[in-house]
Amino acid sequence: MELFDNLVVGFGVALTPANLFFALAGALIGTLIGVLPGIGPIATIAMLLPLTFHLEPTSGLIMLAGIFYGAQYGGSTTAILVNLPGETSSVVTCIDGHQMARQGRAGAALAVAALASFFAGCVATMLIATFAPPLAKIGQSFGAPEYFSLMVLGLIAAVVLAHGSVIKAVAMIILGLLVGLVGTDGNTGGTRFTFGITELTDGIDVATLAIGIFGIGEIITNLSQPQETRALVSQKISRLWPTREDFRRAWRAVLRGTALGSVLGVLPGGGATLSAFAAYALEKRFSKHPEQFGRGAVEGVAGPESANNAGAQTSFIPMLTLGIPGNAVMALMIGALTIHGIQPGPQIMTERPGMFWGMIASMWIGNLMLVIINLPLIGIWVQLLKVPYRFLYLAILLFCGIGVYTVSNSSAAVLLAAFFGVAGYVFTRLQCEPAPMILGFVLGPLMEENLRRAMRISGGDPMIFVQRPISLGLLLAALALCILVALPAIRSKREEAFQEN
Amino acid sequence: MALGERPEASGAAVLQVLARRDVLAGLMFIGVALFGLWLSRNYPIGTALRMGTGYVPRLLCWILLGLGAVVLIQGLREAQGARLTSSGGASGWRPVVFVTASLVIFGLSIERLGLVLSILLLVGVGAVAARGLRLLETAAAALVLIVLSWSIFILGLGLTIPVWPEW
Repeated sequence: MELFDNLVVGFGVALTPANLFFALAGALIGTLIGVLPGIGPIATIAMLLPLTFHLEPTSGLIMLAGIFYGAQYGGSTTAILVNLPGETSSVVTCIDGHQMARQGRAGAALAVAALASFFAGCVATMLIATFAPPLAKIGQSFGAPEYFSLMVLGLIAAVVLAHGSVIKAVAMIILGLLVGLVGTDGNTGGTRFTFGITELTDGIDVATLAIGIFGIGEIITNLSQPQETRALVSQKISRLWPTREDFRRAWRAVLRGTALGSVLGVLPGGGATLSAFAAYALEKRFSKHPEQFGRGAVEGVAGPESANNAGAQTSFIPMLTLGIPGNAVMALMIGALTIHGIQPGPQIMTERPGMFWGMIASMWIGNLMLVIINLPLIGIWVQLLKVPYRFLYLAILLFCGIGVYTVSNSSAAVLLAAFFGVAGYVFTRLQCEPAPMILGFVLGPLMEENLRRAMRISGGDPMIFVQRPISLGLLLAALALCILVALPAIRSKREEAFQEN
Repeated sequence: MALGERPEASGAAVLQVLARRDVLAGLMFIGVALFGLWLSRNYPIGTALRMGTGYVPRLLCWILLGLGAVVLIQGLREAQGARLTSSGGASGWRPVVFVTASLVIFGLSIERLGLVLSILLLVGVGAVAARGLRLLETAAAALVLIVLSWSIFILGLGLTIPVWPEW
């Protein structure tokens, strides 16, 4: 069986001591930043991105992936115990998780969250292993016009599924595309938007942009808001095992959440947060006792927690198989690949099977580690919550500074990150989601390259995009999404989906 | 303007409209687009078949200009637009100034003064960004961070960052 052989290759790579170490490191860092409010996986991965240059590419990817799904585990801890989302994807876990904790069932809530995440992680890993090869085969048959149309569809879907104003999100994508143009034009050799600064002729590194916008920008945003009070549930977490009744009520929610999260994760713009919100709404609708939601319903923890972990992991599928990032974290993963000179795309699976399957196998190992990290060691993470933000942000600020300096060992990158930090703060104040900007930034050069190639194939005729059937289909799908989101009925539903109270 | 309406009042009304979130966002997009168009005014455009350096940048700037205008109009048409609420007046500026300044100082000093001194500078300036600065706490934080980053980045990862000033 081919899948079996591939997984044997994968586990062979993932089980080497070095890769086990980096999987554990990723899981630990992910849990840490997941537990701590005020720092998310995007900023963390951006900070560590330059450091992965000093690692084997496989080890680096294993660690970065671990941070992303590890954060989904850690986020629920803070949500349940403090009623604060450690991550945006655990916002809905606060609702019922914290109620359970106040009823003295914090242990059960934490265990359900961790076990639901673990189950979802296992299923998602299998899904990636099963569906990645055929998708990569389809990707390999794509030419430049198909790729261009696919990226258009990806960007539009990312906007539709993101929250907030659609027009602002599109404008942020264009902004990202423009920032991506800074530097030397590979085709004509002319420089663009460099202001005569030599450091800018090589373009802006994705890590610099992401550290600035997400790392520094978040620090400024957090500091400009009034300090939140952290009311830790003080009683001891005694009983860590859920009751039989909890299991009976939760297992269906876990199945539904896993299925929903797996599907939504693959979609561009999807991923952990959208999956969690959608799963909570779904559980409320399916429940025979919707009135219990908000009062400590175990389904309200099990559904979203399985969905966010499944979504986090299946969002790797388009990145690994087509080289197209669906969310900001995947955009940074592409950045990690290009640091090592690896061209992202469908050829990765055939050219670097060890890396491809090693990463997938490590996801399962990482999930196993995370259950152990999060359940028996929960006390340690709770202690971390007592570190006040006024210490935390200094550490984040410093690691951002060192991280961005090591991108190219240049002071100019640090200054640039400071500039993007202010920009990130302004975006947040004006409610312009910065995540689409990173997508545009990463996809911009790829889109331009494929647009140019398509134009050369067709002799300058833009009709090539509608004459090729696959390309036409992708563009029609993009158009359909645009029309859908403009319809008033869908519009209100979309707004509803992101407001759960 | 109606007769008898005081000019200060209408001035304040204009400011209130300007302070709306979407109005500001629209103006930001329009500003960036115009700046981009101005910067790229001399870039060769070329044709769709042989695109010059300026083809894609100018195209994107025009799209951004259009989108910015739509956001601006939406913001103006909202009867009661969401306004920027500045929490506690100047408190919004404090982190912007000091976080940015600490990073800029860090970036400028790391090569000449080395890791230890530039961390001291970063923590010292950065700590002012938060309210309730305590001197002893900050000094302790700086010490911990110096030890931590020295052991991770220099000892662990072997990065070639100077640790002490180069005389």
